[in-house]
Order: sequence, then C-alpha cells, then structure tokens
Amino acid sequence: MPADHDDRIEDEVLQRAVSELRRPVRLDPAVDERALVQIRAEATGWPASPNRYRWGAWIAGAAIAAGLLFTVTLRRETEPSTLAGSSATEAPAATGEARPVYLRLDAPASSRVAVVGDFNDWDPAATPLRPAGDDGTWVVELRLKPGRYHYTFLIDGRRWEGDPRQPPAAESDYGAPVSVLTVI
Amino acid sequence: MPLGRALALALLLLIPAVAAAQDARLTERLDTATAASVQQVVDSARRAGLPTEPLVQKALEGGTLGASGERIIAAVEALHGQLGRARDALGGSASDAELTAAAGALRAGLPPAALRRLQSLRTGRPLIVPIAVLTDLVAEGVPAEQATRSVLDLARDGRPDDEFVALRRQVQVQRRGGAGEPMNRPPLRPAADPPVDR
Repeated sequence: MPADHDDRIEDEVLQRAVSELRRPVRLDPAVDERALVQIRAEATGWPASPNRYRWGAWIAGAAIAAGLLFTVTLRRETEPSTLAGSSATEAPAATGEARPVYLRLDAPASSRVAVVGDFNDWDPAATPLRPAGDDGTWVVELRLKPGRYHYTFLIDGRRWEGDPRQPPAAESDYGAPVSVLTVI
Repeated sequence: MPLGRALALALLLLIPAVAAAQDARLTERLDTATAASVQQVVDSARRAGLPTEPLVQKALEGGTLGASGERIIAAVEALHGQLGRARDALGGSASDAELTAAAGALRAGLPPAALRRLQSLRTGRPLIVPIAVLTDLVAEGVPAEQATRSVLDLARDGRPDDEFVALRRQVQVQRRGGAGEPMNRPPLRPAADPPVDR
C-alpha cells in the first residue's frame, strides 16, 4: 500500500509538473534585454555576475572620466585660436573651411610690422608681415575660418595701428586702435 | 543601475578636474592674480554654456596691449555679461560664433530686439554676417536705427551673405569718400609696454 500510495502521489506531482510545463509562459519583456546585456558582457569579457558587473561599471566610469579628462587637457593645448571657439562644433564658423585672408599695411620707414589678434592669441611674435616691394607696403597671408576677428598691427615693436581697410572695433577696451575682420 | 553609477562616477571625477584646470595661455601671459580672476569668469561662462574662447582672447588682448589687471578683468567681465545678454536675445540654439557676434552688436549699442528680429527673418540661416555688418555699420557712424533698417530689409528679402558685405562696403566707400581709401585713422598710440619677443 505504501508503494501504491507513493506511486499515486508521484503521478499527481508529475501531472502537475507536466501541466505546469505545458502552460504558456508569459515572459517579462525585460528578459530579452537582460539576456542580451549578459551575453554582451560575457562576449566582451566583462564580469557577468551582478556583483562583479557593478565593479566593472565603476571601473568603466573611471576609464571614461580619465579619457574625457585627457581629451579636455589635450584640447586646451591644441585648440586653434579663433573667435569661433573650441566648443562651437555646431557653428558655421567652426565647420567652414579655413580660407586665405590677406592683410596689408602701408607703413613706410618701418623696420618691422606684425599683426596680433584673436587668430594668434595676440602674440606679437607669431605673425610678422613681410615687405612687398620698396614702397613701404607690408603684407601677410592668414588662413582663417569663417568668423569675426579683432586685430591690430604692431609697428617697430612699439606702436599700434588699426587696419585702415577694415572697420574699427565698436569697442576699445584697452585704448589701442583695433580693427574687425569678418571672414565669410 | 551600473551604467548610471559609471556615468555618475565619471562626472564626479571630471567636474573638479575640469574646474581646477587653468588655461595655460592665461597663466603664461598674465600675472597670477589677473589670470586667476579671468579663469573664474571663464569657468563661470563654461558652466553657463557660454562661449569661453572670446573671454580668453579678450584677456590676452589686454595682456599684449599692456592693460592693467583691473582693466583686463573688467573687460572680460563685461564681455561675459554681453555674451549672456546675447544668448538671452537669440536663445540657446545660437552658435558660439553667433553669440560672439551678437555680443559685439550689443556692445555697439544695438538693441536686443534688433537681433531677435534679424533672427526671425533668417530662420535656419547663420546670423554671423548680418550681425557683423550691422555692428560694422554702427561702428562706421551710421545711426543704429538706420543701420538696423537696412540690414533687416536685406534679411527680409532673403539676400545672401555677400550682399550684406556689399552693403557695408558701399557704406564704407560713401563715408570715406572713395573705394579703397583708408578711413580717418585713429592717432597712433605707443604700446603701453614693449611686447616681449619670443
């Protein structure tokens, strides 16, 4: 009897199990996503267990931060000096190609002429002009992206002169004549 | 959320590092106190989403032209304010170059309403050249109202950028009395400090 009893129970359990297995299963919609995350993690060598995955995420965060910091640092050192600016990646001025721009100044009896402006960090040594002939004309070719640039000439290392061929800057914060060049 | 934590960590590590970073151009060309003050303004602009390069250039301009630290800081702070007002006028979609040009226009005395009107007439097209021409006309001595009317007329007709430039050239020629003639030059001024050769 006991054996019959056990067989009967076993049959009932088995039937319930079979019924349960045959019953359609409604999966959580997020199951697929979780499974794919797991598969991707294993495929890329990331730890798959929840605990280890959490540590991996922290390490990933640190790596992202280090990468971004490196990018920022590098950018500060290599950033071109234009009014359009570094972060203006969406601006027309930043997407436009640099084009040649010619500056000319009549400065007879001068021994050296340079131009300083937004395009060269206002560095007096960066962009010297060269004499064009013997008539006291000095010239330089720049390559500038579209944008608006403030600049002035430095003559003989001691006096400033605006560009008579371009409009003066509306503002003069420091007293020297500054001109404005718009590159389109 | 592991990914969320990763990004949070990245931000936590980045923010102080970026905030503490100094623009080497400022520290190399300005005295320590001035460079630090300018850097604060630059950082403030960055946090506000304003362009920062014009601020750096304004400071470097002052350094090269021999301005005092106080004057440099004042100029940079003023430009920061103008950039903020320019964005108030043009909105967050304006590019850095447009904001910079608009700041110059406001500095020249043009009203924000003129910039907004110009923007509404140039939907989807860059504003840099029209704003620049408008500013240049005022700098040439054209009354702001008249300059604004002329530029808005061109914008209303959908004219290309080179026609704005042609307008400015035409005004220059008329006001200076001939094509290619230099304008009345400002008096030559000695450099405040001889620039250092490098």
